[in-house]
Amino acid sequence: MVFEFKLPDVGEGVAEGEIRRWFVKVGDQVSENQPLVEVMTDKVTVEISSPRSGTVLDVLAKEGEIVKVGSVIITIGEKGEQAAQRSQPTTKPSELSTVPQPAPIAPKTPSVLAAPATRRLAREMSVDITQVRGTGEDGRITEEDVRRHVSAGTVTAAAAARAEVGEERVPLRGVRRRMAESMAMSSKMTAQFTLVEEVDVTNLVAARETLKPAAEKKGTKLTYIPFIIKAVVQGLKEYPYLNASLDDDKQEVVLKKRYNIGVAVDTGEGLVVPVVKDADRKGLLDLAKEVEELAHKARESRLGLDDIKGGTFSITSLGALGGLLATPIIHHPEVAILGIHRIDKRPVVKDGQIVVRDVAHISLSFDHRIVDGATAGRFTGRIKDLLEEPGQLISELV
Amino acid sequence: MARRVDAVVIGGGPGGYVSAIRLGQLGKKTVLVEKQRLGGVCLNEGCIPSKALISAGRLARKIREAGEIGFESTGLKIDFQKTQAWKNRVVNRLRGGIKLLCEKNGVEVVYGEAELKAGNIVLVKNSGGAEELQADSTVIATGSGPIELKGFSFDGNLIVDSTAVLEQNNIPKRLLVIGGGITGLEVGCMYQNLGAQLTVVELMNQVLPGFDPEVADVVYKTLLKRGAKIYLGGEAVSPEASDGGVRVRFRSASGEVAEEFDRVLVAVGRKPNTNGLGLEDVGVKLDQKGFIKVDEQMRSTTSGIYAIGDVVGPPFLAHKASREGIVAAEVIGGMSTAFDNRAMPSAVFTDPEVATVGLTEEEAKRTLGGCVVERFPFQASGRALTERETNGFVKIVADVQRKRLLGVHIVGPDASDIISEAALAIEMGASVEDLALTIHPHPTLPEALMEAAEAIIGAPIHVLTK
Repeated sequence: MVFEFKLPDVGEGVAEGEIRRWFVKVGDQVSENQPLVEVMTDKVTVEISSPRSGTVLDVLAKEGEIVKVGSVIITIGEKGEQAAQRSQPTTKPSELSTVPQPAPIAPKTPSVLAAPATRRLAREMSVDITQVRGTGEDGRITEEDVRRHVSAGTVTAAAAARAEVGEERVPLRGVRRRMAESMAMSSKMTAQFTLVEEVDVTNLVAARETLKPAAEKKGTKLTYIPFIIKAVVQGLKEYPYLNASLDDDKQEVVLKKRYNIGVAVDTGEGLVVPVVKDADRKGLLDLAKEVEELAHKARESRLGLDDIKGGTFSITSLGALGGLLATPIIHHPEVAILGIHRIDKRPVVKDGQIVVRDVAHISLSFDHRIVDGATAGRFTGRIKDLLEEPGQLISELV
Repeated sequence: MARRVDAVVIGGGPGGYVSAIRLGQLGKKTVLVEKQRLGGVCLNEGCIPSKALISAGRLARKIREAGEIGFESTGLKIDFQKTQAWKNRVVNRLRGGIKLLCEKNGVEVVYGEAELKAGNIVLVKNSGGAEELQADSTVIATGSGPIELKGFSFDGNLIVDSTAVLEQNNIPKRLLVIGGGITGLEVGCMYQNLGAQLTVVELMNQVLPGFDPEVADVVYKTLLKRGAKIYLGGEAVSPEASDGGVRVRFRSASGEVAEEFDRVLVAVGRKPNTNGLGLEDVGVKLDQKGFIKVDEQMRSTTSGIYAIGDVVGPPFLAHKASREGIVAAEVIGGMSTAFDNRAMPSAVFTDPEVATVGLTEEEAKRTLGGCVVERFPFQASGRALTERETNGFVKIVADVQRKRLLGVHIVGPDASDIISEAALAIEMGASVEDLALTIHPHPTLPEALMEAAEAIIGAPIHVLTK
């Protein structure tokens, strides 16, 4: 009895996954719950375990391949069943010479419905036609579908692409591919504008220095992020339209009652945005610890689907690399994002005097479909105030 | 010092010359190495000469059977040497055409035997000496040759292979065909039509093994009706010279028999021509059956070496080789072509003809768990009646749910011509409804295909449904 293991739906809305690594090979004995394969789906990497014991008969998906949910990725036979048995011919070579004539060739059962010219076009455009969604009757793939697939940026088959002299082609996979898709989607779907504000963070710098030892005692390195999260949550409570999304179909603004703050992390393979859930109910040091853990998981590609879902607002800290200001791209379907830039000592006029202060810029992008300029300005001002006078943020230390 | 070229194609058959011409079109400096004659088995020893003689045979039968329409033709005399001369003119004319096409497409033809050497070298030896060619890409298109049956050594006269059987200057009175497959039956039918007494021995329990049994049965019964003896599940054991020809003992269901023949054709299969090419030296691997292993872009296991046609495995069809030759050439030319065809039509020029494409009923049942099947008999075709060729039918196999066309099997007049429409339909993923809703000109034989399709969707016009 051969068991065909199909790529399971590892999270809601996940249609496909990239095979990252096989832990087993043909001929291996596997036991139930033994990890079979590492699959990267929608920004997370999951290990999938074997649902049964037996012998691996065939591994049908290669590492790096993008596989649709529901397609067979491995076949497992009874324990002791020989993988090799399958590849042996049914006729012995010695019998062959007496087989008079070859039978007519059987066509491959058409897995995709597409005319020969369409299949050729797909090859020419380096498109794996099995990945194209057909819009014709019974899912027939038209030439238009192939072209649309390419322009939608969903081309995944790097196999046949040929590099011109003087260039190298790197397949767009995993985190990078997701980043490309979600950023393009955000730019396409929303009406973004950016506000930049200068913030005197002298008090914030001092506050962090004061609290550092307390954090270290708890085994946490205190960055500015937890303070910013606190300030943002406070601002969101006062301006609920910023903690929201737009339901395009129903033409309704969805106001979120949870404060789940995404924090962008550079993984080296691209950007991911793990989410700190219910940030309003967490103290500064807890936030610090959680952000640290999430960032760590992100860099090791260990984030679970839960870690990246459900965000209501995002923060991107560009830190020392961040330049003076930026125009961050909103993490759609959220409606606002805050970017924070490097802290420099700058001359500031305070009480009529030019003094040297710690200054940073914050850049906030908003979706103008929902957030008007005045609201954006007030929210930004509120964040500036909270970061300049962080006493209120610190009061909720634990 | 080796001469540098872009590509070398070894073998000038319907795979090799087509590949070479395509390479030339793509701007590659190409040398086509041919051992003997341009056109390969297809043009010189197979498809074309056999079709010429088959056409002659059918004409002889039609003349004999023309009494019903008032044409009296007692004592038809066949000058077979003239028939052969005509056949040779056809072949020569086509061969000249290939030579011209090669020249005009910048393909250089070199005659000799090729051997692969390390470092992308092809050594070509002929009576004039040897030359080394260095090519970035090499296409192996050496084809296949007939298998000799143990005990039945070919002598070119009494015991012959499929090549020699077409080059005889006389029509044998008593012909034995060992192997009731495509070649055996085509040649058998041809000589039967020309007046030979035909005997066929086939190892399997149907003629044309692998084909739809109903289709094969029509051919089987027709041959019997015309006086052939066919031993199914039979095996030729040994030949011995006799006064009048050759005496052959064979086993069959009805016991061991010995009969005398004037000629014996051994047509029990073909084997790939891989010997002497130096494949092992350059790391080109063969599969368990001895065919060169290739991927869907015709690449062998050695970088830069491609293989196409019979030498990469069955079905042994010229049109398969040609398509593969184009794929290899385009891949060498930097295109992304691959052999991804779904429909491989095959035509058998027996009398009546057989043509088939796609899944048989049995294959569809086995692989898909079921299918729907309908037939349309040529007896109900007006055109078939006027042509006096009503023997046979069109059979359609479709998938149960969507009635997608899976296979078409034809036995009857012009089957080899009708099948192309079915091949296009399968390649396009058409349903039987698409076939039924396409207007077919009247009165023609392909209407039978449309009628069978109509039967599947439940609306046949020219047959009565029960």
